Amino acid sequence: MRQRRDFPWLVKCASAALLSLLVCAIATLRLGGGQELPATTTRDGALLALNRYVREPIPDVVLVGSSLTFRLSEEYFETPRLRNLALAGGSPLTGLEIIAHQSQLPKIILVETNILSRPADDVLVEKYADKQRVEPLFLRPLRSGVASYENWMHKPSSHSQMAGELDRLIMQAPSDFDNRIYVERAVSQLDALDPSAVVRMSVEIMRGLIPELERRGAKVFLFELPYIDQVEKTRAAMVTREIVHAAFPDPSRWLPIDVTRSDLRWADGVHLDERSALITARSMEKNLAMRSRGG
Amino acid sequence: MADDQAVGPLAWLTLALKGLAELRHGDYARTGSQCPSPQKHQPGRMSFTSWQFAIFVAVVFGAYYSPPLRRFQMQLLVCSSLFFYGYGQPELLPLLAVAVCGTFVFLVLALRNRAIWLPAGIVFNLLLLAFFKYKFLFIGASSQDLTGIAPIDLLLKLPLPIGISFFVFHNISLLVDLTREKARPPSLTDVFLYIVFFPQLVSGPITRAEMFFPQIKPKYVADVPFVEAAKWILTGYFFKLFVANNLNEMTSYMDFPLYETLQTEDRWLLVFLYSYQIYADFFGYSAIAIGIALLFGFRLPINFNLPYISSSFSEFWTRWHISLSSWLRTYLYIPLGGNRCGLARTNLNLMIVMGLGGLWHGAGVSYLVWGLFHGLLLVLERPFLKSLQAFDSELLRFARMTFVFLCVSVLWIFFKLPSFDHALGYLAGMFKPGTNPNPPKLFHDLALLYALPVMIQHLGFGSVLQSRLSRWEPYLYGVMAALAYLEAGPDVSFIYFQF
Repeated sequence: MRQRRDFPWLVKCASAALLSLLVCAIATLRLGGGQELPATTTRDGALLALNRYVREPIPDVVLVGSSLTFRLSEEYFETPRLRNLALAGGSPLTGLEIIAHQSQLPKIILVETNILSRPADDVLVEKYADKQRVEPLFLRPLRSGVASYENWMHKPSSHSQMAGELDRLIMQAPSDFDNRIYVERAVSQLDALDPSAVVRMSVEIMRGLIPELERRGAKVFLFELPYIDQVEKTRAAMVTREIVHAAFPDPSRWLPIDVTRSDLRWADGVHLDERSALITARSMEKNLAMRSRGG
Repeated sequence: MADDQAVGPLAWLTLALKGLAELRHGDYARTGSQCPSPQKHQPGRMSFTSWQFAIFVAVVFGAYYSPPLRRFQMQLLVCSSLFFYGYGQPELLPLLAVAVCGTFVFLVLALRNRAIWLPAGIVFNLLLLAFFKYKFLFIGASSQDLTGIAPIDLLLKLPLPIGISFFVFHNISLLVDLTREKARPPSLTDVFLYIVFFPQLVSGPITRAEMFFPQIKPKYVADVPFVEAAKWILTGYFFKLFVANNLNEMTSYMDFPLYETLQTEDRWLLVFLYSYQIYADFFGYSAIAIGIALLFGFRLPINFNLPYISSSFSEFWTRWHISLSSWLRTYLYIPLGGNRCGLARTNLNLMIVMGLGGLWHGAGVSYLVWGLFHGLLLVLERPFLKSLQAFDSELLRFARMTFVFLCVSVLWIFFKLPSFDHALGYLAGMFKPGTNPNPPKLFHDLALLYALPVMIQHLGFGSVLQSRLSRWEPYLYGVMAALAYLEAGPDVSFIYFQF
């Protein structure tokens, strides 16, 4: 009979499948779900930063924001226990809500206010809201393997490892890259955009979250990253600034960024280039230290 | 909104001008995986990759072979297939019934007078196809009052019936094959079964009537080739879930306007990845269909035979979507005269067949252009084929395979982007440097990992497995099953469901 011939084959096949699943389930119990990467991302290492945030000890300082803040790499800051949870293409609210959903909070939370025209990413918030939910039932061996390889290949350096290189970078002259075409495009797009409604909603959420976070012991500062002059004057930038400052008028709520604007460059018209991001990060760190000392 | 929009000026353009893009891509922007989902399942439909489908097959299989129901096996399969088709979209069942019953009536009449009723039956089916597939060329899909006549408006507003391109071709095959043989008219149940048999109903393989009808007879569970069916089904799910769905995460960036943010080299990479994806997707579907049909005692035609090792375009069409190519050859190319009426007429026939083959996929200029380009390539290679084949050189064969793969892959752009302007925009961007300073990052190691099964299959690993590694074969299929589950990409419809 055909079935009698087929039976051993089917049993072997099913056993191999079940054994593979079992191994992955045990691996999950022993090693955790593993760090996975999406196959394609515009968020660079942001998801890995979120993974690290929920797995590792709570840092002292956390930055949340959009792709503008994402440019402020962690190694630019001397503060060793600092995490940048900014999401390229995302809203500062996503990072803020993820932090708010953790049982322990960092001492200081820095919130970018440039881009508030996007709602929080609820799926991401839910995914990272509860540590238990981050662990899948089975480890995905291939994705985890590739993620480990990528992490190993692109391991973030510490500030001390990078210090020499960063000093050399800051000593360089500002870039003379011609970004006019990008600035023109950005200006026309940001002028066409009226983000009032979403910004107001975002600000309302922040007004609810910030007192709650401070009640639980964290200190929250807001900051505005500098834009190139033409972009500063666009409708979207001005409307956002007006609404946020009206909602948070107290100057002590704001972390100033003291930089010489002529030293800064925006290669694509919107985002700070490496050197400018480093200058900005250093200014933020200096002002943060003063604020922490009560200055 | 697409996430990359925030990282480059082009993306700001998208952000500002494409408010709709936010709605369209809202799902993926919120998944954290940043994967656009251009082919989400139609709500409520029973997909091959759903748990409902697994339960459905198990229940039908149990009932099908149970002794009390053995006398009603074919009726049971028809009812199950109608349930499968109507699941989530019952409003399309009457249309299917009209198509099948209409074809049956024409068949009975054509068996009496083939000269009149065979063309009439074919026209009836082609009108059905043309009406549903091409009506939106002439009317707005969202128009409220179309003609003012309620029944006609109701028909005009019906969505495209899933699988209509496939079951219309089944109907035509039925009319031509059975009237040619002057056979006794089959029963209505058998006609229904041939057309609506659920593994092949939605996307084929397009089974010839003369091949299917002899298989309609009582089936016994003792005759089921379980191992063969399991191999097909597991291979199919592996290719769909592991290869195609994961590659879709990347190739979604070929959609407009996302492709504008890509680097030039990534545009090229994505073209090849889409080539692998569309193969894995359709081969996967066909393999599942063949495997499930085997469980019910039916053998469907093989639809793919390693198409990307073809060394000529004519060979490609004997290896890709074989059931469609052979249908077009049998029912269109040969009746048009084939290659029997001189060079010019042969070339014209090739262009007509490939052009219509393109349009069969959809009412769009891109599909037509895709078909015509394939026709042109077939025409251009014809004079050189014999002399090229005379050179027995591995290197030349490899060069030809590479060239055919390159052309076929580039032409898939017209499939991926049915808007002709978008397709041209994508193509143009492949030959000039990208301007986005912060393009999306594709993880090339993952791309290789997901494309690898297609490459290995085409390198002839199957024959090695059958000969030298046959002892390990069941374990390998078991690991493939586990990987298909563990490493499955985000759920998306089969690409060919839209046709």
